[in-house]
Amino acid sequence: MKLTRGQIIAFIFCLIPLLATITSWGFGKLSANPIQDLTLRSGQAAIRILLISLACTPLKNLFHLNSLIPVQKVLGLAAFFYAVLHFLIFTGLDYEFNPLWIMAELAQKPFLRLGLIALLLMLPLAVTSLRKLQARLGSRWNQLHRLVYVLTALALAHSYLAAKGDVLIPLISTFVFLILMLLRIPPLSKISISSSPGCLKKIDRYLLQ
Amino acid sequence: MGVPIKPSEITPEAVYISRRRFFRDTARLAAASLILSACRPKNTPSPAADASAAYPAPAATGCADELGDALTDYQDVTGYTNYYEFSTDKSGPTRLAANLTTSPWSVAVSGLVDQPHTFDIDEIKALFDQEERIYRMRCVEAWSMVIPWIGFPLKKLLELVKPTSDAKFVRFETLYDPEQMPGQKNSFFPFPYVEGLRLDEAMHSLTLLATGLYGRDLSPQNGAPVRLVVPWKYGFKSIKSIVKIDLVSEMPVSLWMASGPNEYGFYANVNPNVPHPRWSQATERRIGESGRRDTLMFNGYEDEVASLYAGMDLAVNF
Repeated sequence: MKLTRGQIIAFIFCLIPLLATITSWGFGKLSANPIQDLTLRSGQAAIRILLISLACTPLKNLFHLNSLIPVQKVLGLAAFFYAVLHFLIFTGLDYEFNPLWIMAELAQKPFLRLGLIALLLMLPLAVTSLRKLQARLGSRWNQLHRLVYVLTALALAHSYLAAKGDVLIPLISTFVFLILMLLRIPPLSKISISSSPGCLKKIDRYLLQ
Repeated sequence: MGVPIKPSEITPEAVYISRRRFFRDTARLAAASLILSACRPKNTPSPAADASAAYPAPAATGCADELGDALTDYQDVTGYTNYYEFSTDKSGPTRLAANLTTSPWSVAVSGLVDQPHTFDIDEIKALFDQEERIYRMRCVEAWSMVIPWIGFPLKKLLELVKPTSDAKFVRFETLYDPEQMPGQKNSFFPFPYVEGLRLDEAMHSLTLLATGLYGRDLSPQNGAPVRLVVPWKYGFKSIKSIVKIDLVSEMPVSLWMASGPNEYGFYANVNPNVPHPRWSQATERRIGESGRRDTLMFNGYEDEVASLYAGMDLAVNF
């Protein structure tokens, strides 16, 4: 499998939250409640990368950037990676894989159930990102991958409900999400620049290689 | 105390586990020796580490609470705080509150009292003997600390102003000064911060007005120059930087009650059996520890305070 330049750049970009967290941890810069800090960081990384992946289609349409299609796959998988990490930090590091504690938490905290459903919905999307499966599914692949809208909404609700009082970041994320959704609906989805300037074409070609 | 010995290396496990009952029942001397064994050298930062902190070395007289739980590190107590008047980030207040003017400072005590009085902060410190109290602090966010406060029972101040027979509740208010407290510009919350106690809760001997911690004045992020400490209630009840104390006849509406009436009640007693609508309260993480611990009823002060709530449905009066 050969990666495009765009994908390599996206991959490196997606490593930033992980590397930043490892660096903070190494320098003892995580908060006094480091596990909660790790939970928050991994969850935020998942949501932010998910939102960036949802920005690919509108940007592609607007600026005729076909190079963003393969990039979107890397972003989606990276979001899945952070979501799994988030889940493992919560169940493993925080709740020590103690099924009694975890079941009790799931029973009491609705936002945890939303997060879990979002994660489970990501599973089929991650699996079907394999090119062979993608080809076999054909047009059904597109239908299946519309689940991303549902799971992103769930993940946003999850983060909103997890906040104690300060819901600014979840609200901003939701606002961004709504804009990205609006841009998928005609007539907004039909808007694009009529002729792409040369430099954009060059960038697109460069990123596609 | 040069050799770092973990408490678990000294205390036999059976004793360690049954420590709660053990401490309640055994003689003071035995308890004291165990408490000493729980001391960890890292509680008091090394001179080198502290030199960079621009403060004199913090020192607490005790080194563990009555259950034998070691003090939370000074750096964590002063570096990880909830103080939304400055920032909703836990480390933000340490930075943003650094320049809070805490002197001059006065606390107006009035309302249903015979002798209303406005206390200067120096007057408060001089009038009331300041003592060290090591309390567990349980945040509603399911983390906790053990903190050596310096302060005096609120009761002593209230006795001085003489509440009238109509006084049933005490209402506390934090400084409102958006210039100094940038978080107060956050319109999500109806600042100023208000908290309240029933009069008998306020008069309870555990209820403290704190002016210091770790043997020194309160740092701004911890609520300088004077704050409330009610150890059997969730941390948000322990209002910071108090400028006003009113004796009233009606139950005050706290800031958290106003902003989330379904989520935050007036009592806010630590209770592992009553979950917050969105979070469980059954377990907690002690800051500095990696495992979780079970949350104790009334934060471990059940013997002292349960009688205050006799006959009350604590799920209704959450």
